[in-house]
Formats: sequence, C-alpha cells, structure tokens
Amino acid sequence: MQHSKPQAQPQAPTVFVVDDDEAVRNSIRFLLRSVGIATRPLSSAAEFLAGYSPYQPGCLVLDVRMPAMSGLELQQQLNLRGATIPVIFITGHGDIPMAVEAMQQGAFDFLQKPFRDQDLIDRIQKALAKDAQVRTALREQDRIQARFDSLTPREREVLGLMAKGMPNKVMAAELGLSQRTVEIHRARVMEKSGATSLAHLVRMYMDLERAAP
Amino acid sequence: MQSGVSDEAAPGGLVGRMLHVSRLATLGEMAAGVAHELNQPLTAIANYAQACDRLLEQPAVDLQDLRTALREITDQAVRAGQIIRRLRVLARSNDMHRATTDVNDMVNEVAALARADAGIHNVRLALQLADDLPPVAVDPVQIQHVILNLVRNALEALDADAAGNRVVTLSTSAAGDAVEVAVLDNGPGVAADVRDLIFDPFFSTREYGTGLGLPISNTIVRAHGGSLGYRANSPRGACFFIHIPCQPVT
Repeated sequence: MQHSKPQAQPQAPTVFVVDDDEAVRNSIRFLLRSVGIATRPLSSAAEFLAGYSPYQPGCLVLDVRMPAMSGLELQQQLNLRGATIPVIFITGHGDIPMAVEAMQQGAFDFLQKPFRDQDLIDRIQKALAKDAQVRTALREQDRIQARFDSLTPREREVLGLMAKGMPNKVMAAELGLSQRTVEIHRARVMEKSGATSLAHLVRMYMDLERAAP
Repeated sequence: MQSGVSDEAAPGGLVGRMLHVSRLATLGEMAAGVAHELNQPLTAIANYAQACDRLLEQPAVDLQDLRTALREITDQAVRAGQIIRRLRVLARSNDMHRATTDVNDMVNEVAALARADAGIHNVRLALQLADDLPPVAVDPVQIQHVILNLVRNALEALDADAAGNRVVTLSTSAAGDAVEVAVLDNGPGVAADVRDLIFDPFFSTREYGTGLGLPISNTIVRAHGGSLGYRANSPRGACFFIHIPCQPVT
C-alpha cells in the first residue's frame, strides 16, 4: 500500500465563509474578527472547491442558496471527495426544507439568517473541535497503517491467522512452516506493529480493516 | 431543414420565449427573490451591530473599526429599504389598472402561456369555460398572474404522480354575484393537516417553495374585492378557485 501523503503539518484552522452576498460575507468576517477568529471569505462554491485542500484544518460556513452551485451541491461534492470538513449552513426563511436535507447529508449544524453572534461563534468553535478530533483520529490511523504496511507478505499472512486466533501448531501446518519459524514471524509482527498484547494487535488490525475503503 | 413550424419550439422561438416569460412572471418566484434579498441586509446589519457591541467591550476601542461597521449598517439599511419599496410597488392596489374584462379571454391567454410549461410537466391542459359570463372590472395582468401562479402550483403538484393521466383543468363559471375561475388538478390534493396553513406566508410543501405564492395571490384577489379559496377536487386532486365580483367599472 502506498502512503505518499504529505505529513499533515499542524496548520492553523481556517474558517471558510462561502456566501454569494458580499455584505453578508464581509459582515461575518468582521464579526468573527472582533472575537479573534480569522476567516477566508469566498463568493462561490466553485471558488471554494478550487482552493480546497483536505489537509487544511478548519470548518465551512456555507450559504444554502447561491446561484450556479448551491450550498447543498457543494456539500454533495465534498461528500463525494470524502471530505471531513464540518459544514455549518446558514439559511434564509424559505430554506428550512433544504436545511433539513443538508443535515441528513451530514451537515454539522445550521443557522437561520439573521443569527445571534454567540450562536455562530459557539457552533464554529464546536465545529473546529470536531475537525481537530477527526484529524487526530485519522493521523493515528495513518501511523498504525504505516506500521502494518512494513510487514512482509509472510508476516501479513501470519497476522491474518493470529487475528483468527489460530494456535502456532495449526498455523505451522497451515503455512507449511516449522513451529519455530512461525514463532519468529509472530514476534516480528508484534514488534513491527507496536502491539502490547495479542488483544491490542487484533484491535488495531480490525480498526484498519474497518477503515479500509 | 424541417419546416418553419418546429422553430417555434426552439429556445429562442415563440414557445421558448413564452416559457421564459411565464417563469419570470410567476409571483412566487418574484416573492422568493424579495424575501431572500431582504434577509441578506438584515443579516449583515445584525452581524455588524453585534460586532460593534463586542468591540465596545474591549479595553482599547478602535474607532475606525466602529465607524466602518456603522457605515455598513447604514448602507445595508438603505438597501433593505429599497427592496421593501419594490415589494410595495408590486403589491400596491392603487397601481391597479382596472378594465372591463372578459374572464374567458383572460383564462384563454393564461392557458396559451402555460401550455408549453404543461408539456414539459407531461400534463394535459383542459378548458371548461362557461358561456354568457358577465364581464368583470379587474386589472387583467394582475389576475392573470394569480391564475398562472395557481396553474404552476398545479403542474408541480402532479410531478409526483405517474405520467400519462396528468390533467390540469381551467374552468370558469358563474357563482352568485361573482365569477369563479378554478384551477383543478388530479394529483394528490392538499393533505388535511396542512389545509389551514397553505395561505400562510412562508409555508410551503415544496422543497424549494418560498411559501409566498398563495399569500400574494390572495392579497391581489382581495384588492379586487374577491376571494381565493381551496376545496378538494373530485374524485381526487386539488381545486384552487378565485371569486371575482361582477361589478361595473366605476
């Protein structure tokens, strides 16, 4: 398995604000700046997608109703790309059914315009916390994946049988190896994976299997 | 090259142009724009005002920042005022240009305008026009907007039904001292639990509905001294009707 991902740098989180209305966009930037939150205002979904990087931590404050690509369509695009960035929708009066659909598609939250500043700030802080949590979990998963990737094909075979709880003797017969050789492979698997016990090893293995696309 | 007849269906042709007009002219859509537009300056004003409040909490207040925000608030309030002025022009009843009008002529024109749209929705548009109706004194453009809006609602209501037997009927009849124009469809009808809500502003059963089409239609019909109502169609479907009093032009 190739793991040429650039090591995620601990970048400062960015709050992206996507709204086609310049006044709304600028007012949100102004409001958030007054509480020390930096934003990147963008006027369209296309502009956001053009600069989007999955390695950029942050959250997205997104207007539902926009010409060309709507907020909902942008959310669908992001979902298709497997993006994890939390999305806070801001909606007008007639847009509640759209907001419901957005929530069903995994939006982090939604706010009706006009909104209380504290409501927006609270939601942004929660969204940033969620994003950081997801990124930590993904990094941990990448780290474990890298360790498992360093196993030789034979060691991987042994790992699979260990996860099934197969005793050494049976495994040796199964693989046509001596029991002594199986023991050596087992030790290498434990060492390379960094597992502290067989249970730990199996748990990591299962987690990776589950996360595999 | 085919004969010139098919050119009518091209986007720039007669049908295409009429379709475009009917879309733009639909009251619900005009109202959607207005409601959405008004919400934008209100949002900006609320954000700037709340930001000012926060800035004033800080030990060293940046007056330039405050001034920027206050000017934005003024600009956005002016913008909101302009939008409201447009809305008032739209709904003002003394802007009405009443004329003695034949109801059937009016309905025929709406049907011509809606026919292409009906085709797109796979709906057959039928007419049941009563003879010998008295003339009414109305602004025909405004009343036609109302009827067109009802027809478009009916067309969309049928989208969920299987294609093949979708029918929207435009009917006219005498109703006491009034003339009734009714738009009937054979779709699912209006569910009992929302029947009392459909004339409320911002209520909509459609995903992208604004909830303003019927309230504004209602306003227009009332300004003419008439009424807008709903009854279930038989055996199934919805019937929206307007009653316009027969009265001479004063």
